Amino acid sequence: MDNEIILDFEHITKRFPGVVALDDVSFQIRRGEIHGICGENGAGKSTLVKILSGVYPYGTYEGSVTYNGAELNLGQSSIREAAEQGIAIVYQELTLVSTRTVGENVYLGKEPVEHGAINWNKLYADTQAILQKYQLDVNPQDIVSNLGVGKMQMVEIAKALSENAKVLILDEPTSALSKAEVGKLMDILRGLKEHGITCIYISHRLEEFFGITDKVTVMRDGKIITTQPIENVTQNDLVKYMVGREMKERFPQGQRHPGEVIFEVKDLEAVDPNNSSRKVLDGVSFNVRRGEILGIAGLMGSGRTELVLTLFGEYGKVTGGQIRIDGQVVEPKSARQAIDSGLSLVPEDRKKMGLVLIQSILRNISLPNLDQFSEFFRIDANAEMQASLQQAKSLTIKTSSLDVQALTLSGGNQQKVVISKWLLSKPKVLIMDDPTRGIDVGAKFEIYKLMNDLAEKGEAIIMISSDLEEVLGMSDRVMVMCRGHSTITLPVAEASQERVMSLATGVAVA
Amino acid sequence: MNVTTTEVKARSSLTNRFLLSLRRNLQTYTLIIAVVVIWVIFYFLTGGSYLDPQNISNLFRQMSVTSFLSIGMVLVIVTGGIDLSVGKLAGFVSVVCAYLQYFIWFKYFPDQPLLAAALSVICGLLVGTIAGAVQGYFIAFQGLPAFIVTLGGMWLFNGLILWRTAGKTIAAHQAYFSAIAQGYIPPIWGLAIFVVILVLLVWNVFGTRRGKAKYGFSLRPLYLDLLNTGIPAVLVLAYILSVNAYKGIPAPVLLLAVVAMVMIYVSNNTRFGRYAYAIGGNREAARLSGINITSVLFRVFILMGFLCGVAGIVLASYVGYGTIAAGQGYELDAIAACILGGTSPLGGVGTIPGALIGALIIGSLSTGLQMMNVVPAWQYVVKAIILVAAVLLDVYFKKNRG
Repeated sequence: MDNEIILDFEHITKRFPGVVALDDVSFQIRRGEIHGICGENGAGKSTLVKILSGVYPYGTYEGSVTYNGAELNLGQSSIREAAEQGIAIVYQELTLVSTRTVGENVYLGKEPVEHGAINWNKLYADTQAILQKYQLDVNPQDIVSNLGVGKMQMVEIAKALSENAKVLILDEPTSALSKAEVGKLMDILRGLKEHGITCIYISHRLEEFFGITDKVTVMRDGKIITTQPIENVTQNDLVKYMVGREMKERFPQGQRHPGEVIFEVKDLEAVDPNNSSRKVLDGVSFNVRRGEILGIAGLMGSGRTELVLTLFGEYGKVTGGQIRIDGQVVEPKSARQAIDSGLSLVPEDRKKMGLVLIQSILRNISLPNLDQFSEFFRIDANAEMQASLQQAKSLTIKTSSLDVQALTLSGGNQQKVVISKWLLSKPKVLIMDDPTRGIDVGAKFEIYKLMNDLAEKGEAIIMISSDLEEVLGMSDRVMVMCRGHSTITLPVAEASQERVMSLATGVAVA
Repeated sequence: MNVTTTEVKARSSLTNRFLLSLRRNLQTYTLIIAVVVIWVIFYFLTGGSYLDPQNISNLFRQMSVTSFLSIGMVLVIVTGGIDLSVGKLAGFVSVVCAYLQYFIWFKYFPDQPLLAAALSVICGLLVGTIAGAVQGYFIAFQGLPAFIVTLGGMWLFNGLILWRTAGKTIAAHQAYFSAIAQGYIPPIWGLAIFVVILVLLVWNVFGTRRGKAKYGFSLRPLYLDLLNTGIPAVLVLAYILSVNAYKGIPAPVLLLAVVAMVMIYVSNNTRFGRYAYAIGGNREAARLSGINITSVLFRVFILMGFLCGVAGIVLASYVGYGTIAAGQGYELDAIAACILGGTSPLGGVGTIPGALIGALIIGSLSTGLQMMNVVPAWQYVVKAIILVAAVLLDVYFKKNRG
């Protein structure tokens, strides 16, 4: 084995029920290089990281990983083990205890102990040493919550590096950073390289690879498409590698006849309700017509989910722009107002936001619609059952009875319960945020058919999705979001995967 | 694409449905069995006197105060909250009632005992409701943790009790007022009440069936429906006959039954009740379903305050005076009754009948241990073991069911 190779993936396959997340992945990472990895959401990048970190321990995947000359053999619940062997990971979401100091965070779970008590002097001195060695500009005694996101990221890196790391994996480290902070991060990475640390750098922002990485690997559908020295490729090449596949017959085609515009958003701007200096929406404009599906494409962190929650009155504080439904200007301040003005939202995370899992299907379907079945204060249980049952039947929810708890259903059936619940409220516009996330192929097709039927019947649908193929396969028109603003709305005929991906990654501007 | 669809049915087949309801109500049945076991054990330990009509009558009357609190507490815990102030609030209401009876009313309405009693009741309910509203304001509108707000409430009401009683006992044994908790429904009226209940139950069976038929839902055999209502009817009759052998239904037990029926209805058949369960089950999903969480939480605490008012009035009437120890520890009895009765401390799950049976278990234990002259120290130890063992068993069964 060549000592120059620090990580060697050989024929890695990782299966989940119904999905192959990694499909015969083989590639190598050289000692001391900065290796970029890119790919669409769901391409398999995170699965790869989880194998290295021990979240998926040895034996739960096929193939082998050679790390530093020996086979990586991480046991069950071995996240510590990976760290001890020198594999350090900085996750996309920060994992700091924000109320404690930088030093405490860096040494969390591995505090230096003397006579049963923590040796605080040593802890802070060691933290200081790490921070100095890698030129991280943070004070070990600072409370983490007082730091900016950029500095928190540095603490994450220091924490990851505190055990003599040989490999540092950064999983979309820049998604929450400002431009200046990204620049600073790049400097830190160059510094780490000088110290001989190998970096795996995963990002959606393709331009970041240039000038920092040595090589870049493109993944798609769980496979490695190519690994190239960075100087041999352009951003457009990367985009092509990321999406380059033919459309299969996966999407039902219907006879849609889009009518007049029913929903219109103009120059919408909104800020984070907890941090009014952070703009989450910065100029979003689009419209939807009756009987059409508008697809909204965009990578994670592009503001898609923030957009729909803001439209629904439950997230961003609107600072500018206008929302019109049926010509009427609306300013939803709560979900109730949004529902009353004719919006429905099938949310991104059906378990956390869509369903009361411990309750029955019936109660879930009727929850936002109880006004329909109530006279004075009494709920007419028969009317409730009849309407819910009719909805459940028309969506072919597979269950023995509506009295069954929602948590016992499969993902696809759960999603149908969420859709039933919202169709029963007879919306003018149905917003679906990643409607097929985490459900199997067969159920996906049923959801697509359902959307198609609804559109044919004149329903206006907005579909947000991470799956580009899905957006292009289902939509009449596509709106692309990038960093909080809408770039352009294209008829689907003009929207190639390459074009959409270029817009979404900010490579091209409309 | 191979897409199979199966017909969705409103209700599954009869046997399935029966098994389903059996499984879902397993906890309730287990609790009823627990009550029976406790009664049988004490029956033998006390040489039969435990099940005397007089003792049964007292048992139910004694548990009524904490039962009012448990009914409200179910809804509070179901929404994911807790209320530590209920014991002291009920105690404070009892002191207020006694104080008004003893020091105030005779000055203004010297010869109108009925009016005085009615005013005491109204004031008691008002004090409870307002106190609930104030605490609810801080919890629902200001987003403070219910634990903290109601702990503050507990201290506050304790302080108010000490201030108002000034360490003394205030008598409240005016005839009309005492009748609320010390009175009995004459046996013949008790039987009349049973007849009314029976008629209502049968009417309900047929009304429900007519409603279902109108919507075209399949009906299960009539005898099953009648059997379903027949069992509780028999239990009610047995209870009435038993207490009639003493002096009749204790008035507070009748009041408890009425309040419980209303609250069971509210929790199942109104939007408010449904929203409370949805909020506790998944707050985020409830919010995105357009539920006004603030408003529901606020109303839950107002209702809890009102029920503290009811409990306080019954307490004052029952013991006949307001004391500095009024309501001491009742909040924990109420919480224990809910948890014993299957209310999940995590929220979203819990029933009023369950909590009432929980209260009955605690009451049965206390009465039995007292009758056997077990010293209070060991009474607490036995109750501790029963409480933790019951919840442990429940957790064990839940784990092994899934």
